[in-house]
Amino acid sequence: MRLLKGSAPPRSLLRSFRRSVLASLAVTGVVAIAACSSGSANSSSNQGSTDLTVWVDSVRMPVAEAYAKAHPNQHVNIVTFDGDGNGASTLQTKIQLWNRTGSGWPDVVFSEQVNDPVWMAQKPFDFAAPLKDLISANLLSQWPAASTAQCTINGELYCVQDNLAQVVLWVNKKLMDQFGYTVPKTWQEWAALGTKVAAEHPGYIVGNIGDSFGHWIYLWGNKCPLEQFQGDKLLINPADSHCTRVATMLDPLIKNGSVPPLSVFTPDFAQKYGGANDKVLLMPGPAWYAQALFDQTLHIPAGQITAAAALQWENETPITTGQVGGGPWIISRHSKNLKGAADFVVWATTVFNPTGQDARPGYPAYAPLADAWLSAQASNSYFAADPTPALKSAASQVWAGWNLVTYPDQPVWSNTVITQLVAGKSLSSLLQPFGDALAQAAQASGYTVARQ
Amino acid sequence: MVMAPDMVAVRRAQAARMRGLRVPHGVLFVAPYLPFLVGFGILPMLYALYLAVTNDSGSWVGIDNFVRTVRDYRFLPAFGHIILYTCVWLGSLIVIVVALALLLHGRANRTSSTFRFLFYIPGALAGASSVLVWLFMLDPVVSPGSFLLHHLLGSELFVESIAPGKLPFVFAMIAFWTGAGGWIVVMYGALNTIPDELEEAARIDGAGPLTVALRLKLPLIRKWIAYMTILAFATGTQLFVEPQLVNQASLGLVPDTWSSNQLAFQLAFRYGDFNGAAAIAVDLIAIGLIAAVLIVMRTGLFRTED
Repeated sequence: MRLLKGSAPPRSLLRSFRRSVLASLAVTGVVAIAACSSGSANSSSNQGSTDLTVWVDSVRMPVAEAYAKAHPNQHVNIVTFDGDGNGASTLQTKIQLWNRTGSGWPDVVFSEQVNDPVWMAQKPFDFAAPLKDLISANLLSQWPAASTAQCTINGELYCVQDNLAQVVLWVNKKLMDQFGYTVPKTWQEWAALGTKVAAEHPGYIVGNIGDSFGHWIYLWGNKCPLEQFQGDKLLINPADSHCTRVATMLDPLIKNGSVPPLSVFTPDFAQKYGGANDKVLLMPGPAWYAQALFDQTLHIPAGQITAAAALQWENETPITTGQVGGGPWIISRHSKNLKGAADFVVWATTVFNPTGQDARPGYPAYAPLADAWLSAQASNSYFAADPTPALKSAASQVWAGWNLVTYPDQPVWSNTVITQLVAGKSLSSLLQPFGDALAQAAQASGYTVARQ
Repeated sequence: MVMAPDMVAVRRAQAARMRGLRVPHGVLFVAPYLPFLVGFGILPMLYALYLAVTNDSGSWVGIDNFVRTVRDYRFLPAFGHIILYTCVWLGSLIVIVVALALLLHGRANRTSSTFRFLFYIPGALAGASSVLVWLFMLDPVVSPGSFLLHHLLGSELFVESIAPGKLPFVFAMIAFWTGAGGWIVVMYGALNTIPDELEEAARIDGAGPLTVALRLKLPLIRKWIAYMTILAFATGTQLFVEPQLVNQASLGLVPDTWSSNQLAFQLAFRYGDFNGAAAIAVDLIAIGLIAAVLIVMRTGLFRTED
């Protein structure tokens, strides 16, 4: 009875078992080797030092394509990605992976987040190349001082901005004339107009606060210290009077609907306020709103929109305004074609300036190109009046007290403030939680935070 | 029924031979998968365990990473979110999937196979694509179900549909829509293993369809329900795709650290803190394992009986 219980299986069974296991392992081994070798073949073919790999977002793709066309001897690999906008972590993820594997870095990157070079220039990313030796000092001096300051991290220049994004007051001249209103020059006049509009013409708006960059329009421009370096500390003080007075001004406007907590890029907004019967009376916003927003997104007909000077707070001088973006070009320090990369960046910021339909959407940061762009915009038939004087004067009025940090503050504004504004809370009650959330994000990123 | 001793011996010999013969064939099926399981499942898990107890330069730090990540201001909210989400999703999954499977099993064959197919189709969409479909469904301006959005969720705008308080339910809805169909098919298969004689015997004894479903079929598919619970619990606590895509689509209105897995992702890639990320990953696997062990013990999942 103990014959078969506990005895080993017959030798023939063992042999066939071993054979089948070996066969299956061999198959998987062959597959794995094939996969690995094909992978390395791909990476080696991109190692040529005359190749240029550029990462751009969809708005900057025409620039890259135009460069490739103008330089037929230079092979340009154009990769489009989401632009790392609105506080995304796309570039951080990619750079971490490239650093870990030791290969794959592109030569040039464009980012929609103006604070990206700040972390790119520091550990653990160490991605950005200093531009001092790559671009001539002569050329670099033609960028506005404020723009250069934003690209200077720990004393070195790591990027050049593609465009400036100063906040101006966009005006619907047709509707303003139709209702008999005058263009406000101060925030107080603007707020009074908002109250008037809510009473006389409900449904029309004088601004919005639902974008992820709303705080850059209303708080940055009015000198609210939410991201201000003080020595080696970061000052985040939402209780400062510069912040609270703005919230007090905005609360009734948010409540009466003349400054809705909606984003301009949502279908809801376009449906409610855009189109042929648009209800946008005034809109504090950046220079690139020009045609990108009003024409291409909201489809507001030509002959209505123009720009007016940035709003002043009562009679305080100097006039300061906010900034929404101003994307930087960054060159990778691992690039095998630094010369080509620098050439690309210089061409994209100092030469590329098509006219007409394909004109640059933003105010160029390079001063001579800015002049050319402004004169083209002055005669742009889309605008009701010449917007360029307002754009030009605001370019030098961006408040320098809002510094760039390694962490993104847009998502903090979005999920601390906007979600609650939509739920009906007042901006004044949300300033403290906003400041607290910013402080947490700052501390998690390694900053020492001062709360007053 | 007592068998003679030599009959028992013959039976045992037959059984042993069957078992012996079956071994190499079973291994043949599993063997090609084993290297991948080891290479992409077990080794990364061990690497994560190693990372979780070491620091940047490789030296031992004990539970330092665990303590540090628990103290992160986003850790507890993220765990709160996924616990709530898992409860909602798991509860609805078990109840609705089992109910639908029982319903389909009791119905006429052609109707039930059509419905099984219809239930399965949403699951055929890859996870990311189904979230994109839901981004349209949740926007009252473009959604075909805007009536339901107005009255059930009370939202007139997309931002209201994804208000923080509604998120666990919204994500549970998305995950259910994609996951339930596959599980209904599995449960239906499980119900098919019940011998017809048992059902007939029950009916002869006077049991109605409800009694047959609840008192006869349900206890017999207990193990499949336990299996589904274990897997669903693990996928629930490790939620990533849905909140990540909604975060990107809403331009940050939904935080990028809503779930614990997202927090691990951010720690790894935004801060370069792979050790902290590994610590969170180990936390997630630990609760998945504990839940699995509890369920296995309570339901006797691996007990073989007749």
